[in-house]
Amino acid sequence: MLTAAMTDAMTDTTTAEVAAATDAALARSAAAGDAGAFESIYRRHAGRVHGVIVRLVGAHGVRAEDLTQEAFVRAWQALPKFRFESAVSTWLHRLAVTTALMELRSRRGGPRFDEDEDALDGLGVADSAGNGTALSMDLERAVATLPPRARAVLVLHDVEGWKHEEIASELGMAVGSSKAQLHRARQLLRGRLGGEA
Amino acid sequence: MNANNDGAQEHDAQADEQLRWQLRGLRRDLEPQADLWPGIAARIAQAPQQAAASGNARTRRFAPWAMAASVLLAVGVVWQLMPAAPQQAPVGNPMVRQQAVSMALDYERAFARLEQADTHPELHGAFGELDRSAAQILSAIDNDPNATFLLEQLRRTYARRLQLTQRAVMT
Repeated sequence: MLTAAMTDAMTDTTTAEVAAATDAALARSAAAGDAGAFESIYRRHAGRVHGVIVRLVGAHGVRAEDLTQEAFVRAWQALPKFRFESAVSTWLHRLAVTTALMELRSRRGGPRFDEDEDALDGLGVADSAGNGTALSMDLERAVATLPPRARAVLVLHDVEGWKHEEIASELGMAVGSSKAQLHRARQLLRGRLGGEA
Repeated sequence: MNANNDGAQEHDAQADEQLRWQLRGLRRDLEPQADLWPGIAARIAQAPQQAAASGNARTRRFAPWAMAASVLLAVGVVWQLMPAAPQQAPVGNPMVRQQAVSMALDYERAFARLEQADTHPELHGAFGELDRSAAQILSAIDNDPNATFLLEQLRRTYARRLQLTQRAVMT
């Protein structure tokens, strides 16, 4: 029993390591200009990259797909400078986050990315007062409707598992602001879910 | 009053914890609805890659010979010390994968150290071909962890890649 469990754990570990080693070999080839190797990298990682982009921009569809495409084009351009000090998958994930956040900052219309604190306040009051239309929202949709900066902090911390220091650095804010945004985003989210979460 | 505050804080903390668990469940892969590769392929055909960061002058002047020798020694020693893969591994034996990973990591480290120095662009095609072969063999091992013969194939591919890298560094 114990031996079987150990073997399973070892197999899981080595499967991940084989995947990482395969990624590294493909990335090395793509860095030298091999588009075929880069297509393999795309096929292996499109789901993960697209997933985090959808969560950060709060939307499926063409916009998220454009950003996914943009992230892979940036990866292609930056690959020759990749030093293989982290896993390829980790590097791609980070690049996807940066691509999505840059787009959120540059968006026009609606609350600006750097100024959505007021919008967060307003929405929080409305929800805590009880907004009947929000009660039936599922979690994913509720997250998607958060203001951009609050959503970014919540997704990076609670979904992707980043630390406040990393989030603050990526978003260009103080660590305290990241914590405050997270606290308020959770409050807002609970309000939108009708206190179910 | 204080008791009420403590109770509210505890309730908030519990609600936060529950919410975090639910949010963690959102972390999943989402395939794009359309195949984005044709668009990416068209764009990267037009997009130049950034030049690789070159090593500093001191590294280039003194390090290549010493690095090449030490890397060759290190990889050689590691593979002499490693037990040979069994000819007939039992079903589900993870040893083949483990050895493949160890080999890949050893060579990756060797490449990283050697490539701190400049390499010759005319060899990039050959590097690409060997790296692609290594990736294909690793994928095959991932799919069939009992294919011990692939370990030898992987070793030959990496040895050739290392040999070429050393040649590029030394000339």
